[in-house]
Amino acid sequence: MSLNEARTAELYRVMIRIRTFENAVRRLTKEGKIPARFGLYTGQEAVAAGVSVHLRKGDQIGSTHRALGHLIAKGCDLDKLMAELMGKETGFNHGKAGPYHTFDPSVGALGANGIVGGSVPMTAGYALADQLKTKRNVAVSYFGEGGSNQGGVQETLNLAACWKLPIVFVCENSSPEVQRMLGHEIDYPQLSIDKVSLRAKNYAMPGSTHIGWDIAEVYKASGKAIRRARAGKGPTLLEFKVHQLEGNLEGHLESNEKERQWDPIDILKQKIPRKVDELIRAEEAAKVQKAVDFALKSPEPTLDEAYACVYKEVD
Amino acid sequence: MSGREITFGQALNEAHLAEMEHDPKVIVFGENVSSQWREATKGLKEKFGRERVRDAPITETAFIGAGVGAAIAGYRPVVELMLVDFGLVAMDQILNQFAKSTYMSGGAVSVPMTLRVLTGAGTSSGATHSESLHGLFAHMPGLQVVIPSNPYDAKGLLIASIRDPNPKIFMEHRLLYPVKGQVPKESYEVPLGVANLVREGKDVTVVATSLMVQEAMKAADELKGKVSVEVLDPRTLVPLDEEAIVNSVKKTGRLVVVDEDYLHYGFSGEIVALAAEKALKSLESPPIRVATPNIPLPFNPKLEKELLPSKEKIITAIKQAAA
Repeated sequence: MSLNEARTAELYRVMIRIRTFENAVRRLTKEGKIPARFGLYTGQEAVAAGVSVHLRKGDQIGSTHRALGHLIAKGCDLDKLMAELMGKETGFNHGKAGPYHTFDPSVGALGANGIVGGSVPMTAGYALADQLKTKRNVAVSYFGEGGSNQGGVQETLNLAACWKLPIVFVCENSSPEVQRMLGHEIDYPQLSIDKVSLRAKNYAMPGSTHIGWDIAEVYKASGKAIRRARAGKGPTLLEFKVHQLEGNLEGHLESNEKERQWDPIDILKQKIPRKVDELIRAEEAAKVQKAVDFALKSPEPTLDEAYACVYKEVD
Repeated sequence: MSGREITFGQALNEAHLAEMEHDPKVIVFGENVSSQWREATKGLKEKFGRERVRDAPITETAFIGAGVGAAIAGYRPVVELMLVDFGLVAMDQILNQFAKSTYMSGGAVSVPMTLRVLTGAGTSSGATHSESLHGLFAHMPGLQVVIPSNPYDAKGLLIASIRDPNPKIFMEHRLLYPVKGQVPKESYEVPLGVANLVREGKDVTVVATSLMVQEAMKAADELKGKVSVEVLDPRTLVPLDEEAIVNSVKKTGRLVVVDEDYLHYGFSGEIVALAAEKALKSLESPPIRVATPNIPLPFNPKLEKELLPSKEKIITAIKQAAA
């Protein structure tokens, strides 16, 4: 299934939304309005957008510590998301989650996660529930190349294959050329192979590696895997090569010269009519501004909130 | 003492350098340990080479377990865990294999490994990046728990830990890293199991660990002239210097325990139980625990602060104990 013009614009819009939102997050963090620094998704937008476009509201995702793209693409409300990042009462989780633990069950966004690889076994549980409920829902489990090494991730690949779960494993490999942990001049590789998707064979599931900054490729590969899961044929391991880009604070959405070759937005822009591009940018900027205003105006949680929700209250 | 001041992080770095120099069986690994951004292990790879200083993938079970194995096989691994919360991924290797191999083997093997662990709240990092958890490790038979509160102890305790033949969890509060203090240039050991009398006093004994020693000292300073506060830092939770604590409680008759770890079933309860068992008749008021309630730490900085022990809460507790 290839991308028509309308679909392309729809995907472009989601990517612009993520990038615009994250640029606002950068600025607000610098201004101290967001109380802690955390990992962003800039440069990876095509993956979340291209995967999520195949998902239904009842489908679930499990995410990582770079969750904003996944959450936005799954349809999380921007106002509540921004409020959560500022630790406000009106956030999805009353300011308790912050960026690492955001949950929005209303759209199946079942968790950013602060532990590398931590969400992957849980996401198999969402897929198990989907299988038991027989509503043909599926789950998508996002993790990085570092997370792919975790025992819990490897165990879940096996479990999902044994139980033929309706799940798609999406590994975003942000260090695709060097097998080394990003941002660290370390001496030993962290992967013994150059493609995470090679692991799939050991668990008897399809696996393939794709260019994550090419939206058409993401769209096609994830569509195939998600349809397969929905049809009850079991899990797939997809790997998307990505580059985490620096982004900028000046409100520009395009990358600098050096990073341009990997910027999914810069690349896709060539296919979008200028008028459409301008309209999308303006509309998404307005939505993000609304979210920022909402979050800034929202109250802090009261101190009582610190003690609430340790256990589920019995009604 | 030389009068030379360095940070907690630099003190840890010096301990590594000294022990790697002193004993070729000392090896270092963990996530990004060869990175220039990891202060405690900075420069080790350049000095001692990539055989002895290794970066591990994000695979806590594998590299902590490999440390246990290398220790049993005759090396002295110093393994770094980026944050204590991440160690929960590797519970079997830590709580079963690391802790129990010596006993289970009837002494046929020993595990002279030091698992260095960064800990601590106060950075608005949320529930899986903020914990202390020393109580969890101290609970397990076989583990020794070392928890320095200043640069001098950091260096001396780490050297003593590396030389000791048993499994150590060596806990480093992140917010202590930039703290400066006097540290001798030469190598020295601070013995495991000996408490530090940080401040002498006669009215109230405050037992505190790690970053909370600093908070307790601020509280004691503020109460100067009103309440004479004795501050005791056990430095190691296992082995615990029971005598120092009991003697202090016998002297003052009043006890406050300050702990950043969770309140329930933890260090603070252990110290109060010790006072009840061995100094009950000396107690003139009920002991008070200032600890983090059993609540996961929230992201919002105000909510986080609400839950953590602080100078203000310690002052209130000391006044109540002294009343």
